[in-house]
Amino acid sequence: MSKEVIGSAVVVGGGITGMQSALDLADAGYYVYLVEKGSSIGGVMSQLDKTFPTNDCAM
Amino acid sequence: MDKCIACGACTEKCPKKIDDLYNASLKKRKAIYVEYDQAVPLKYVIDPASCIKLTKDKCGNCAKICPADAINYDDKPETLKLNVGSIVLSPGFKPFDPTIFDTYQYAKFPNVVTSMEFERILSASGPTMGHLTRMSKDHEEPKKIAWFQCVGSRDMNRCDNGYCSSVCCMYAIKEAAIAKEHNGDDLDCAIFYMDMRTHGKDFERYYENAKKKGVRFVRSRVHTINPIPETDSLEVRYVTDDGRLETEVFDMIVLSIGLETDPSTVKLANDLGIKLTRGNFAEYETFKPVATSREGIFVAGAFAGPKDIPQAMIDASAAASAAGELLTSARNTRTKTAEAVPESNVAGDRPKVGVFVCSCGSNIAGTVDVKALAEYAESLPYVEYVTNNLFACSQDTQDKMAEIIKEKNLNRVVVAACTPKTHEGLFQETLINAGLNKYLFEMVNIRNHDSWVHKETPDLATDKAKDLLRMGVAKASLFEPLREGELNVNQTAMVVGGGVAGMTAAKALSSQGYQTHIIERSDCLGGQALNLFKTIKGEDVAEKVADLENAIKVDDRITVHLNTEIATVDGFVGNFKTQLKGGSKLLLEHGIAVMATGASPLQPTEYMYGEDPRVLTSLEMDIKFKTKDPILDSAESAVFIQCVGSRQPDRPYCSRVCCTHSIDNALELKKHKPDMDVFILYRDIRSYGEKEYLYREARDAGVIFIRYELDAKPVVEKSGDSLVVRVKDHVLGRPLELKADILTLASAVLPNRNEALAQFFKVPMNDDGFFVERHAKLGPSEFATDGVFLAGTAHYPKPLDETVAQGRAAAARAVTLLAKQKVYTSGQVARVDAAVCSSCGICVSVCPYSAPSFMDTGYYAGKAEINPVLCKGCGLCVAACRSGAIHHGGFDNSQIFAQIFTMSA
Amino acid sequence: MSWEPKIVSFLCNWCSYGAADLAGVSRFQYPPNIRVIRIPCTGRMSPKFFLSALREGADAVWVSG
Repeated sequence: MSKEVIGSAVVVGGGITGMQSALDLADAGYYVYLVEKGSSIGGVMSQLDKTFPTNDCAM
Repeated sequence: MDKCIACGACTEKCPKKIDDLYNASLKKRKAIYVEYDQAVPLKYVIDPASCIKLTKDKCGNCAKICPADAINYDDKPETLKLNVGSIVLSPGFKPFDPTIFDTYQYAKFPNVVTSMEFERILSASGPTMGHLTRMSKDHEEPKKIAWFQCVGSRDMNRCDNGYCSSVCCMYAIKEAAIAKEHNGDDLDCAIFYMDMRTHGKDFERYYENAKKKGVRFVRSRVHTINPIPETDSLEVRYVTDDGRLETEVFDMIVLSIGLETDPSTVKLANDLGIKLTRGNFAEYETFKPVATSREGIFVAGAFAGPKDIPQAMIDASAAASAAGELLTSARNTRTKTAEAVPESNVAGDRPKVGVFVCSCGSNIAGTVDVKALAEYAESLPYVEYVTNNLFACSQDTQDKMAEIIKEKNLNRVVVAACTPKTHEGLFQETLINAGLNKYLFEMVNIRNHDSWVHKETPDLATDKAKDLLRMGVAKASLFEPLREGELNVNQTAMVVGGGVAGMTAAKALSSQGYQTHIIERSDCLGGQALNLFKTIKGEDVAEKVADLENAIKVDDRITVHLNTEIATVDGFVGNFKTQLKGGSKLLLEHGIAVMATGASPLQPTEYMYGEDPRVLTSLEMDIKFKTKDPILDSAESAVFIQCVGSRQPDRPYCSRVCCTHSIDNALELKKHKPDMDVFILYRDIRSYGEKEYLYREARDAGVIFIRYELDAKPVVEKSGDSLVVRVKDHVLGRPLELKADILTLASAVLPNRNEALAQFFKVPMNDDGFFVERHAKLGPSEFATDGVFLAGTAHYPKPLDETVAQGRAAAARAVTLLAKQKVYTSGQVARVDAAVCSSCGICVSVCPYSAPSFMDTGYYAGKAEINPVLCKGCGLCVAACRSGAIHHGGFDNSQIFAQIFTMSA
Repeated sequence: MSWEPKIVSFLCNWCSYGAADLAGVSRFQYPPNIRVIRIPCTGRMSPKFFLSALREGADAVWVSG
């Protein structure tokens, strides 16, 4: 098989996981389409108040 | 969407209120809304199902009020077809909806809330502005709050979620601790649980601290809640550990809801042809933790099993590594690069400041008198040009601004508008396009810090704007063009440790095209995995490790240095020089380093370990399985003791892997010899995620679980030839005597503490000897020190799938650096004027990033210098320097003083 | 006319400066008595900044980060 490799990827979901995946792929030299069904990225973590063990603000 | 300036005028005028889902529907929002204040992108959207214009073709208020003409009612969903090389699925999870449980009366009682709702109640941006009050009409501050664990998890009867959601124990403890911070220590917080699962890094300490702070932990599963008439409080009945029936009244009950896969995600998986587990999570193999059953499609986060934030972040990077691997030959073929405009030299020129005052529609102009402000700007020193724009950030204004800069020969630009946090980059881009150094720019915040917060006092707001602008112009006049350093990144990688984490990282780096060296101090690759028998999915570990090892051996981009250790390390990100010693004496030049130094099992000093050959550690038990030891046939009883050396004052962490390991081995014994008596003595069973199914299977197979407390540890004795374990049964409350033909001690996982290595790479270790990552949540696979990454059990004890994932994650993070080939330094860094430096060394000692050092050679030998690559521009050294020898690009003393001196007109 | 204090606030770019931005986004109303100087980190804060702000007529200096 000698199909041409396409240097881009799609990431489905714009929560923290999707954002990190997209950033890592983009920074590695691949074009990324980040797809999110909502109107903003951030996912569930943006709804959390604080995170342990440091009690940092989740935002 | 491009036109929206996020002024919020539309929301103010919208007459339609709908549930605010971001706030777990505890609050209302308008039908045109922004999800939350910090949303990215910060753009308002219309809810098409409730908008009056879209549903009834009436209203249209938002289009009328919008100053940017950004409302488009005719926008329709589009279907786009994307051709891509690989796919990463990170659709996340759905918080479990407890409405179906009539026992908890979640829907009926206002003071029974979910943990998600409770997060919003605690949040300063939530429905109560961060005041912890009840949701009933009285809005009183609760005095007693209960948490019920495992709602929608570990439950096959009332819902179908037999797995453990992994995160609820910790978030419940967190919520209880934060609730106490909000409402004082008198607040009574009780957590009702089955097993406390604090198996993550530093979680056990957090749990112990919560106990000290008075959070009550009650081991009981509550099944009924009764309302107290007219008070909205709730009566809870439960059976205590010792069998007493208790009744308590709580003001508020939080249901610790689990994580589950959204039905739409299940559909997506089915459409894509991806296999799911029985818990509806994406199925994967232990040694391919982010690969789905379909080639080219990868999975990360909670869709690959319920997990916490750091684990999701590890997955994310691991998936990027796996997805990127397929695309290596097409790297940089689809990405775009901007064309550079030559920069004009303005150093030494008299400042010619251009001031752009933004009206932001009516956002600024509605409060601040922008005309007066612009007129005032003309009177300020060095100001050559002033204009007022309706929207300074719009594309046409940007183009015009670049023209004006060139035409008027401006060499400093001040924009009085919104916040530099969101818009500085945009305007700096405009400066670059106009051929001006981007650091000759200052932003004056007259919207977020002024017009928006002083609406009632427009005159005073205008005065404040004038003051801020005057300070900004004074600062900008002193700006100098700043240079960004550029440094080549050596394209070779070094991995310290040849266990599964190290080998995986090396293989992932090599697959993306990088020469990689593995440094291993022992005489073979494989690490602790060589001792493991099989994975919980039944895969043969030896076989998989051998596959990995062979792949490394035939890989001509990977060099393995066995019996080798590190003698010295010089350099920094992109340019390390490491001297090896032992088997290999190479001086290795490399751009990045991965720490994968692993961990080892504790050699127990209790329970007759070493005194009787029948007493084994978990790994020694694995070897019995591997070698098909005759004891497996002859033994009639087997006992496992958990937490040997873990979760005790001298080692206050949970070793994470032991519960599952023992359960798996117990099951293996039962399979091998069904009539064997198998006991597991435990403190809390921590079979998190879908490992819970294994726990259930073990109970069904007749493995007997007996709980003990830390202050009543089991006692192992010899009685004649027999080995006897005495333990107090927690159900019957009386002592038991168990005969053990095999006694397995689930001994703690100890990090291979290596102080020298930590020193070499300037990376910290915690009290337990595990390496400390950049960020406990968001940066688990890298260090604060640039160019140094982290994987495997050197980070924290973890099972094989998580180890492989982190090996990949560390590689992915490293590739982001290697792929750029160059590191750029910010211009806003500290710089030493060596002629003034007194060599006191304060900068060297205060810097958290090891950027300052003393020069070894040259005219200024002995004076300090700052490596701009490592400097993060915090200014700590600038403030600390007693000689005034350190200058700070963009925030120099003279510039900050200029702001202070012009504070008053 | 009642006396109004003049307060100079040094805000860390990464937290408090952003928080002040957020106060704006949330339309919190507060008295217009502060003048913000953005610093890259409170580590940048030098005692000289306090002293000269007071000398220049500030009634209070507020450092937040």
